[in-house]
Amino acid sequence: MSASPVAFGAPKSPADRKRKPLRSPAAPRPRPALAGLALLVAGAGLGATLAVTITSQPSSQLSARGGLLTYAGSLTGMIGTYLALIMVLLVSRIPFVERVAGQDGLLRLHRAVAPWPISLLAAHALLLTLGYAEAARAGAWHEAGVLLTRYPDVLTATIGLGLMCLIGVVSVRAVRRRLRRETWWLIHLWMYLALAISFAHVIVLGPAFVGHPLTQVVWSVAWAATAGLVLCYRVGLPLVRSLRHRLTVTEVRPEGPGVVSVICTGRRLDRLAVSGGQFFCWRFLTRGMWWQAHPYSLSALPQPPYLRLTVKAVGDHSSGLASIRPGTKIAIEGPYGAFTRYAQRRPRALLVAAGIGVTALRSLLEDLPRGSAPVVLLRLSQPADLVLGAEVRELVKHRRGTIHELVGSREEVAIDEVSLPRLVPDLAQRDVYVCGPEGFVASIVDTARNLGIPDEVIHHEAFAL
Amino acid sequence: MKRAPWLVVAGAVAGFLGVVGLHKTAAPSALASSEAQPASTARHAAQPASTASHAAQPGRARTRATPAAGAAAGAGPVTTSGALERYGYGELAARVSFSGGRIAGITVPVLRTAEQYSQQLAVQVIPTLRSEVLAAQSARINAVSGATYTSQAYAMSVQAALDKAHFR
Repeated sequence: MSASPVAFGAPKSPADRKRKPLRSPAAPRPRPALAGLALLVAGAGLGATLAVTITSQPSSQLSARGGLLTYAGSLTGMIGTYLALIMVLLVSRIPFVERVAGQDGLLRLHRAVAPWPISLLAAHALLLTLGYAEAARAGAWHEAGVLLTRYPDVLTATIGLGLMCLIGVVSVRAVRRRLRRETWWLIHLWMYLALAISFAHVIVLGPAFVGHPLTQVVWSVAWAATAGLVLCYRVGLPLVRSLRHRLTVTEVRPEGPGVVSVICTGRRLDRLAVSGGQFFCWRFLTRGMWWQAHPYSLSALPQPPYLRLTVKAVGDHSSGLASIRPGTKIAIEGPYGAFTRYAQRRPRALLVAAGIGVTALRSLLEDLPRGSAPVVLLRLSQPADLVLGAEVRELVKHRRGTIHELVGSREEVAIDEVSLPRLVPDLAQRDVYVCGPEGFVASIVDTARNLGIPDEVIHHEAFAL
Repeated sequence: MKRAPWLVVAGAVAGFLGVVGLHKTAAPSALASSEAQPASTARHAAQPASTASHAAQPGRARTRATPAAGAAAGAGPVTTSGALERYGYGELAARVSFSGGRIAGITVPVLRTAEQYSQQLAVQVIPTLRSEVLAAQSARINAVSGATYTSQAYAMSVQAALDKAHFR
């Protein structure tokens, strides 16, 4: 790793300049084996959940009155709840999982899995009501009333289910688009409450648990451990890091039209392990911004005591950063992201970025070793769109790489299956790192796949609201 | 991760088989085997009398309650309450009344079940158990197949009441 082409922060005294600049250590190396183990354990939990449900109910129940519906209700309830547990774990930011999958990958998986627990749990409520109604030879509505009123835990669990369904509805893209991000986020947080209030009825009423103390203990421990992980890694660790480093805004530098760099100062930054390409969730503690945490990549490796992020004004938050006051304190969560040099499998790398995506590319570039000869493709609508251009060129030159600045509209300049191999003849020996707006990243990833590049060497980070 | 789905599937199979194996080694008691009887006919029965024919099968699901050592009960109407017995799906307590040195009647003042199904089952089965205790004049009765937990709890609670009264 060589020195950064620019020293942000106050100019140093001659004595300081003689001293070697402090560095932050690299983020810990991802361990795919650990993540694989986590997947095995998650699968084992699913199998075990299925097994305790099936073994706790005699097969004779299936031929009893309403038995099939009750059995199905039991199964859907158990599987649905287990999947809900997995959903919480996916976004609990457990470090060894996050390092391998990346926060954005985990969020994508979380969104993909989401319809399943909610549907299964809604089915569970319906099936059990119908099954019990048939066993008691009563009407379904009457039976629902009995379930809700006679057993208090069921009432709270039903409220929890209602909350879950509400969160599900609100998260559907068509609805979510119409809400402000903060409103959607606040509603979503109620999921923790929904799960907490539904917990009791499972242990008290489920046939897999009633009279099976070992199952009760294991289930309770699993949920308690999940709660612990959430408290530790979503709340605790970010809090500890924020307090340890005490970041404050020092300077706001314009970099181009609508783009600013925010230079921050912090303590003990030589103890903050970050790799190039990673991002933090930034919470600027000032009026109007303190209750939001937005993800922004670092636009350079830390230069203790300075950190830099470079932001384009797109929404309320990013626009507000242009006028943020120096001295504003910052709380951070992170560093997150698997978009790092650790992801590289092949001997060399191709870095592709559009627009503000150049920020992550710039810090990733800084992390690449000296002779690594990277190829950098920058895609811009106008020349003025290029920010940090001088730094990128300097870094590429220092690593004996090549840089292509592709300026023009989408019709004039396209990176597709024809132009890409021409620009990068040795594509087969390069990992592909793509960064930028969602649409751009999707199209480059598609192009790379169409050219036969395997998924393991395509790494992407899409900037989305 | 490339092999991610396979890892999940492999784990699921392992977890499933592990629990099933654990279940088989841990639980083959007389209780479990009697549960596996085709109990559906007992459940469908509208009359308690018809379940009695199933329960009278020899040697199956006999509840072994510890016999009380003590003097014969005294004369005169006495009522004792058995302990609250928890079972798989709920809890019940039986109350035994004696008259003239014999068990005269049994009521179940406390019956709480985990869910509706168990409630219905208990309500169907308790009259049968009651007549069996009266006939046998002890708590050593056959369980009603399909209601093993309930029968066992009933018998244990009655036995506790008998112990309290130093019956037989």
